[in-house]
Amino acid sequence: MSFHDGKSINKSKRLAQNAAFVIFRGLSFAVVAILVIILAFIIFRGISVISWEFLTEMPRDGMTAGGIFPAIVGTFCLVVGSMLFAFPVGVMSGIYMNEYLKDGWFKRFIKLMTNNLAGVPSIVFGLFGMALFVNRFGFGDSILAGSLTLGLLALPVVIRTTEESLKAIDDSFRVGSLALGATKWQTTSRVILPIAFPNIITGLILSVGRVSGETAPILFTVAAYFLPRLPNSIFDQVMALPYHLYVISTSGTNIEASRAMAYGTAFILILIILIVNLLANWLRKYFAKRVKMN
Amino acid sequence: MNQLEKELLRIKEKVNEMWDLVTFQVNGGKAALVHADKELARKIIKRGKKVNDYDVKIDRMCENLFALFNPVAVDLRWVLAVLKINANLERIGDTAEGIARLVKEVDTAFDAELLQITQVLEMYDAAEAMLTDVRTALAEENTELAKALIKRDKVLDKINAKADKALVSYMQAHPENIAQALKVSNIIRKLERIGDQITNIAEEVVFYVDAKVVKHRQKGKRDKNKD
Amino acid sequence: MYNTDSKEKEYSIQTKDVHLHYGDFHALKGINIAMRKNQVTAFIGPSGCGKSTFLRCFNRMNDLIDNVRIEGDIFIDDVDIYKTNIQVDDLRKHVGMVFQKPNPFPKSIFENVAYGLRVNGTSDKNFVQERVERSLRQAALWDEVKDKLKKSAFELSGGQQQRLCIARALAIEPSVVLMDEPASALDPISTAKIEELIYELKKDYTIVIVTHNMQQAGRVSDSTAFFYLGELVEFAKTKTLFTSPRDQRTQNYITGRFG
Repeated sequence: MSFHDGKSINKSKRLAQNAAFVIFRGLSFAVVAILVIILAFIIFRGISVISWEFLTEMPRDGMTAGGIFPAIVGTFCLVVGSMLFAFPVGVMSGIYMNEYLKDGWFKRFIKLMTNNLAGVPSIVFGLFGMALFVNRFGFGDSILAGSLTLGLLALPVVIRTTEESLKAIDDSFRVGSLALGATKWQTTSRVILPIAFPNIITGLILSVGRVSGETAPILFTVAAYFLPRLPNSIFDQVMALPYHLYVISTSGTNIEASRAMAYGTAFILILIILIVNLLANWLRKYFAKRVKMN
Repeated sequence: MNQLEKELLRIKEKVNEMWDLVTFQVNGGKAALVHADKELARKIIKRGKKVNDYDVKIDRMCENLFALFNPVAVDLRWVLAVLKINANLERIGDTAEGIARLVKEVDTAFDAELLQITQVLEMYDAAEAMLTDVRTALAEENTELAKALIKRDKVLDKINAKADKALVSYMQAHPENIAQALKVSNIIRKLERIGDQITNIAEEVVFYVDAKVVKHRQKGKRDKNKD
Repeated sequence: MYNTDSKEKEYSIQTKDVHLHYGDFHALKGINIAMRKNQVTAFIGPSGCGKSTFLRCFNRMNDLIDNVRIEGDIFIDDVDIYKTNIQVDDLRKHVGMVFQKPNPFPKSIFENVAYGLRVNGTSDKNFVQERVERSLRQAALWDEVKDKLKKSAFELSGGQQQRLCIARALAIEPSVVLMDEPASALDPISTAKIEELIYELKKDYTIVIVTHNMQQAGRVSDSTAFFYLGELVEFAKTKTLFTSPRDQRTQNYITGRFG
């Protein structure tokens, strides 16, 4: 018996391997296929209404005609607002947790809490936001209240990505910097953060994708059913793409008539998320290059 | 230049200094012999102590070099060669010192006829030249010169072989000078030994440069002269 | 607080009965040693014998590890670095360190060397420029990098990176340079360059080097300390230690006859 005589007593193990890979491959293709079908469905249904007018005009005729411009602007405001809140707070908490907090029960507790926060259903955030920002702080239904609520939702993700990005950095950089007489803060700000930045920014942008698609948190805190004008201040209500989509598909004045508009809105929403993801990718590569060069 | 090279150079310098001392001992020996210069002879004997110090010093330097630098290949062969060259130089120095002691003991100058018929001065010249040449061979890594030296040692052997006969006839003709004649006989034997030691050095040069072992090639001849 | 002009003083590092515990583990057991100025001292010994731990006491890098307890006195240039009111960043300016794996920052070659100056508050452009050049020259790297100072340090080879790390440590003009197996991750040619460099550097610095490579200790150091199981077994001139060690354990270790 030698290995090159073509006979093998272990045919079954090869068979098992082949079978496993066939199944895996089949499932992977199925997933991709479903994704393609969804996209194709929405694009196919929605592309017909996409026009310059659709993107830049106010909705008309009970949202069966016109455009979705205020919803786009509203979503943009909410995303920017939520990030203005979540980014500094999240990144700073992440830095504190990874660079300063010593291992112990307190750190474990905070971690547990952030993880739990990430698992809280978004409608609960909405409810909380309404209770705290809208009522207690008296912001009313406003961009401010909505942004803060969305920011809270994004916070665990930002904290986690920051922490993970920092944790992935080899300790030799920290030790090397400290050994040169740098303080911990100098080490963090001048060496560690620049290295972690590409990954942090990626996490941030991915959470932008998530925030821009959320409906539940803005339901009670900012979103307007129908508001064909642009906001003037952060205390204004706005329309937002996901909520707009929800409204015209479920409770519009004429659901059948606005069906095409709904697909168009969905298409724009998906497009935005896609662009955001591509941007995240590109930014990460760009910063990764910058960090090495600088 | 790296640290090992620097250390090797330091040893080389020491060897050269030692070589100067030994050359002085050998060359001075001839002058002392010809002129019965007791002062010079005493000086030669005194240098012997210094040569011994150098011997110990160079041994110690080589030991440290082995321990600290782990020389390999050409460096290893060089240090091994230097260890043996050092030992041979020290012995040459000792032998030259022995001659000087003999010269110191005589009261009158050696009989010129005695020196002439025994060819002891020619022997001296040959030994001096060999000592200089082997140093050159080492410095220039000249194995041809080194190999030639091994052959040149035969000149000394020949003179040594003929000397007994000449001495016997001299002693018969000059019975009053037998003491001197015996001393010359002794000197000749010592010079022959110096020749052997120079040959040993030449063999080490070949070993260092070519990584070839040339000693014990002419076994029959060498055994006869072993001390 | 530190006086770098006091080079003529005999000892640079002195320790008195230093004990170190990691939790329950007694890692250093009463180390007494005195290392001369402008000399290279090598620490040798099997893994886990405490030599690296001891080295890290000199710039208080052990402070970064939880659960470490240090007893005894360590004097560097006559300052008790644990007892008096010492700021660790001042201490680390005075006691530079080079690590096992080259760890340049993801910055340009120039910025890597300038980093120590910048974090210590030097902003004079010309001064920084001069000091960077001088440090790179001292680390025998200037000629290789002078045309690409703006390039990333990661473009250098491993050996060059390590010399860059040495230059980085020299830029802040320490009086002591600690080296923790500085050549163990490098090829023989780069190792030889580092060793040459150590020889050159001892003119201006006191150097302590931890090495697993006994030949390296032999080649670069003036004195060698052999550590075993947290004890300083023998400390002597390198020549003496390698030719006639006093302790049987030293003999066994350097001849490879352990265990």
